[in-house]
Amino acid sequence: MIELLHDQLTFRFPEVHEKAFCHIEFQRTLRIPDDNQPYPLPPGLGQFPLSHVDDYADRLPASWRKHGGVFIPMYQSEALWINFSGDYHSGYPFAIKVAAGKINAVSGQPWSNELDPDSQDYVVIPGQPWLDGFNVTEDYIRQFIAMPLGEGFTAEEQITGEGEYGGLQIIVYPMKYEEYIERFEKPALDSPPLEEDLLLMDMPAFCRKSEGPPVEMGLAPGGLMRQKIVEDEFGLDVWDQENGLRCFIHLANSEQYRAITGHRPPHTPPSAKQYTDAGLPWFDYYDDQPALAGSVALGKLTSLAAMTIQKGKSLLGDNQPVEPKIIKQVRRGKTVRDGDF
Amino acid sequence: MTFGDYIRERREALKVADRRYSVRQVAQRIGVEPAYLSKIERNEVAPPSEAKIRALAEELGEDADVLLAMAGKVSSDLQEIIRKRPKLFAELIRELKSMPDHAILRIAREVRDGEW
Repeated sequence: MIELLHDQLTFRFPEVHEKAFCHIEFQRTLRIPDDNQPYPLPPGLGQFPLSHVDDYADRLPASWRKHGGVFIPMYQSEALWINFSGDYHSGYPFAIKVAAGKINAVSGQPWSNELDPDSQDYVVIPGQPWLDGFNVTEDYIRQFIAMPLGEGFTAEEQITGEGEYGGLQIIVYPMKYEEYIERFEKPALDSPPLEEDLLLMDMPAFCRKSEGPPVEMGLAPGGLMRQKIVEDEFGLDVWDQENGLRCFIHLANSEQYRAITGHRPPHTPPSAKQYTDAGLPWFDYYDDQPALAGSVALGKLTSLAAMTIQKGKSLLGDNQPVEPKIIKQVRRGKTVRDGDF
Repeated sequence: MTFGDYIRERREALKVADRRYSVRQVAQRIGVEPAYLSKIERNEVAPPSEAKIRALAEELGEDADVLLAMAGKVSSDLQEIIRKRPKLFAELIRELKSMPDHAILRIAREVRDGEW
């Protein structure tokens, strides 16, 4: 089952193992400059508020009711990152597929529920503590940026030619019971789970350590960021694909979010320049795990700023290059990608 | 408060603003004799069938499950659910008996996956 509590989704698999649960939340962040220079990891500026689609069903388009799930408010050209965490003690592993507009954010392929047996199209936690964007090349992603559907900016529209779905889609598979017992609960293990892995799973929500319908939003590829997609160290067979749970996360235009829910959306985040000029830290995450190659399809995407120029529109605002002065190193299990601002 | 007392109180409250909530007119709309509805309200007969209780709930703007419970009945759809897994649901309901509402709501608030 999937629960929503304190703006966090908890995916729980009691039928597999009592420790088989993980949390996913969506972090507000600044939009890194989209100038083809690679940037370090931006901070977390707090969670996006999450609401059940069913709680506002009469004010939402039929397609949202059909998809079910939850929704979050986003401003146009606002960025987000996805934070994965789990149980401090168990470190129960999960394979998680993430898509934007039903385009897989790791492989660039159209959505399917199953894990691709030929080429890893998912992230593995606890090894992958967060995902900030589309896997465009080895060690680099392009930041997730909200844009209205229908203007051609989103990854979905660039790849399929249509803006049909928007939003984010997630499916979570736990490790099979017997595989978990064998690896993590067997007495006198030769190699017990790394303390560091476990610490990483306990990251607080708000920081990074180590019809009259609402305008539907999708995610476009933004600036380039150093972030690897960690290779699956366990292999495809350990994942319990009989027991997946999936969730559709709709992106509501912030202005209309207020009309739907009566609540104010969070303030717009600071620009990268404001944040950097204030002397606040950026982050670099280090681990020595092998990285997945980038997706060819995603690598061909045109970034938001480049497409804005192509379309002859006025230049993307707040896109001046910045030079992060303070870059905190985040190591597996060590601190800190703190997002106070 | 009995089922009959509650129905009478709710109907009378609505009648203050709208005379269509007289015993006679409500009885007609739910398809029973006015004398029968009157006896129900005075607790002179047992509560009516599930179908009539649902019609009353609809008519009076009340929750059908609540009225059914007041009438000592369990709705047929719930009975069907329990019959399929009687042991599991009996245990579950007994366990939930003393939990506060917010804890029960938390269990019930699963994020729904749809078709996509």
